[in-house]
Amino acid sequence: MNKIVMIAGAALVAVAAGSADAQLIAHKDLSVTTAVTIAQTAIQTCKGQGYNVSAHVLGRSGEVLVAMRGDDTGPHTLENSFKKAWTARAQRAPSVNFANAVKMNPTAGAIHLSNMVPAQGGLPIMVGDDAIGAVGVSGAPGGDKDEACAKSGLDKVAADLK
Amino acid sequence: MSRTTFGIAGLSLGLMAAFCAPANAQLLTHKDLSVATATTIAMTAIETCKTNGYDVSAHVLGREGQIVVAIRNPAAGFGTFENSMKKAYTARTTRAPSGDFAKAVAGNPNAAQFFLTNFVAAQGALPIKVGNDTIGAIGISGAPGGDKDEACAKAGIDKVAAQLR
Repeated sequence: MNKIVMIAGAALVAVAAGSADAQLIAHKDLSVTTAVTIAQTAIQTCKGQGYNVSAHVLGRSGEVLVAMRGDDTGPHTLENSFKKAWTARAQRAPSVNFANAVKMNPTAGAIHLSNMVPAQGGLPIMVGDDAIGAVGVSGAPGGDKDEACAKSGLDKVAADLK
Repeated sequence: MSRTTFGIAGLSLGLMAAFCAPANAQLLTHKDLSVATATTIAMTAIETCKTNGYDVSAHVLGREGQIVVAIRNPAAGFGTFENSMKKAYTARTTRAPSGDFAKAVAGNPNAAQFFLTNFVAAQGALPIKVGNDTIGAIGISGAPGGDKDEACAKAGIDKVAAQLR
């Protein structure tokens, strides 16, 4: 009898869990206006500080939402801003975390994946605990300065990120 | 004697070339799009199409066909991002609306350009010009008809017309 109750209970749990998994996933995603504002604000903030930078804003799947080549930037900065953003999106963390991890462990597995770069300047775009994208900035003399501009972009739209 | 003459003639030709060289060797002066102008063009185009009821993606390319601004509209079909780039590339390299290329190759599926990368026979992109100099292009994709894409591209360029000189 006890066993029957247990089995019945397990079956009920399985059915309940099954239907929960089968429901569609509700996602919040960046709009084109929000993404453009983030990139533009980052570039303008750096410009105000005397640095020409390029910026990328990626979406949930790492897809390019916005790519902006800053005035008078080095040709590598567009690619690098993409890779920093990719790294931040992939790891749901500032790209500097990966940079630090690679310093400790130069053969970290993720270093061999496409688009990963151990460089500061990329930040994930979070809605609560959900990484819905990332912003990457490249061109300032120091990743900390790139990251500060990336952050100013996120701060600008903070009210929309919920 | 004749060898010497030729030698001198050769030398003077060489000198002429040397004197000619500086004129050719001067640096080129180019006007190019700023990221601010490029963003205004792209966003004006996207917003114009939105007002017209269409979600579109946009690319603004620079003088060398390089991306200055690329904007994927998540509300538009995902093919629109690539297509807006290819239209813009076509307009930049032909220095003419991409619709002109589409007309030129209509009925000619083996036109040589189709064997090059990034050409597309579709209306919706316009060259960005300063006088006769093509400094870039804008491409739009997502509206139901290349003419509607092109109208939004034009709105973007019109918005910054005063800066394009």
